Amino acid sequence: MTSTYTYTYSRTHTATHLTDVILGTISDILADLKVNTDRLRREWVENENAIKAWIEEGSLDAVVLECHQPSGTVAPVIEFPVSYTTAGEGNAEFTASRARLARFRAKVDRVPAGTTYRLFCTFRAPRTEQPGWGPGQRASTDGLRGITFGNLGSAPHASAGMRYHYI
Amino acid sequence: MLRTRQVAASPVRSASATWTVIANLVADTVAQSSLLPRAEAEQALSAAETVGRMLIAAGHLEGHPITLVAGNVHCEITTVFGTAALTLEENLNPIPGAASATSFTIYLPSPAPLQDQVKAAASTHARLSDAAPPVPQTAAASVGPLIDRAALQRAVTPR
Repeated sequence: MTSTYTYTYSRTHTATHLTDVILGTISDILADLKVNTDRLRREWVENENAIKAWIEEGSLDAVVLECHQPSGTVAPVIEFPVSYTTAGEGNAEFTASRARLARFRAKVDRVPAGTTYRLFCTFRAPRTEQPGWGPGQRASTDGLRGITFGNLGSAPHASAGMRYHYI
Repeated sequence: MLRTRQVAASPVRSASATWTVIANLVADTVAQSSLLPRAEAEQALSAAETVGRMLIAAGHLEGHPITLVAGNVHCEITTVFGTAALTLEENLNPIPGAASATSFTIYLPSPAPLQDQVKAAASTHARLSDAAPPVPQTAAASVGPLIDRAALQRAVTPR
C-alpha cells in the first residue's frame, strides 16, 4: 500500500524561497569575509521585499554582490542569476544546496579590513519600482576569473545559481 | 522538561515573517507569568531581530535552535525549510510551564560564520545570551523516582 501527501504551491512560494536562499547566502558570505553587515541587517526587509517582488513578477535576472576593497579593487564579485521555468514544469521540490555552499565558502578569497559591499539587481524585463532601490552602475568583471557554482536553490517556477568572480 | 517547537520558514514564510512568528511565540509564553512583562520579552526579541533574520534565511535555525528558558519552560525552537515546511503542522500556542517564572533568558545559537553578529546582538539586551543553554531538567529529576523501592522491599520480606 502507498500513501501520498499533496501540497499546493504558488509563484509566491517560489519567490519567498529563492529570496531567502539568496539573502541567506549573501549574509553568510559577508560574515565569512568579515565585511560589516550592519547595513545588510538594517535594510533586510527592503531587500527581501524587492527581490521577492521581482522574482514573483519574473523581471529579476540576477542579484549581484560586489566587494569594494579599500585599494579600489572590486573583488570578489558574486552573481546570483535566476532562471525561470514555465509554471509546473520545474522541480516540484523547494531545495537549497547549503552543505555544498558551506564547503565552497571556505574557498572564497579573503578581503582586507575596511572592505565594503554593494548590492545590485539586473533585469530581464520591465520591473515594478521598489522602495530603497535606485539606478546604479556595476563594476566591470573584466580581468577577473570566474567559477560557476551551479544550482544554489530551486523551486517549481524558478531556480537560483551562483557565479563567483575573483582575482 | 525539554520541549521543542518547529516553525515553518521558507517557502511558507519569508525570514522576516518567520522571525515575527518566533517572537510572538516567545513573548506569548513569557507573558504567561504575572511577574514578567511581555514588553520586556518584546524588547529582547526586537534586539535580536536583525540577526534572527540572517539565521533563518541561511538555514542555521534548522539545526541550531533558539532556546527559551523561563521557569519550568525549556524549549528549543527550530525552523523547517523547503518542501517539508509546506506540510508542517505547527503548534504556536504558548509553551506551558512559564506561569510561575520569575526570570527568562533567550539563548541565541551561534553557528559559523555568524558568531560575531550573534554576540553583538546578544550584548544589546540582558535577556539575550549567546552562551550554550543550560542542560534541561529531566522529568525524573523533578518528580523523584518512579519506583518505590521501600515498598518493593516490604513486599518481599518473609512473613
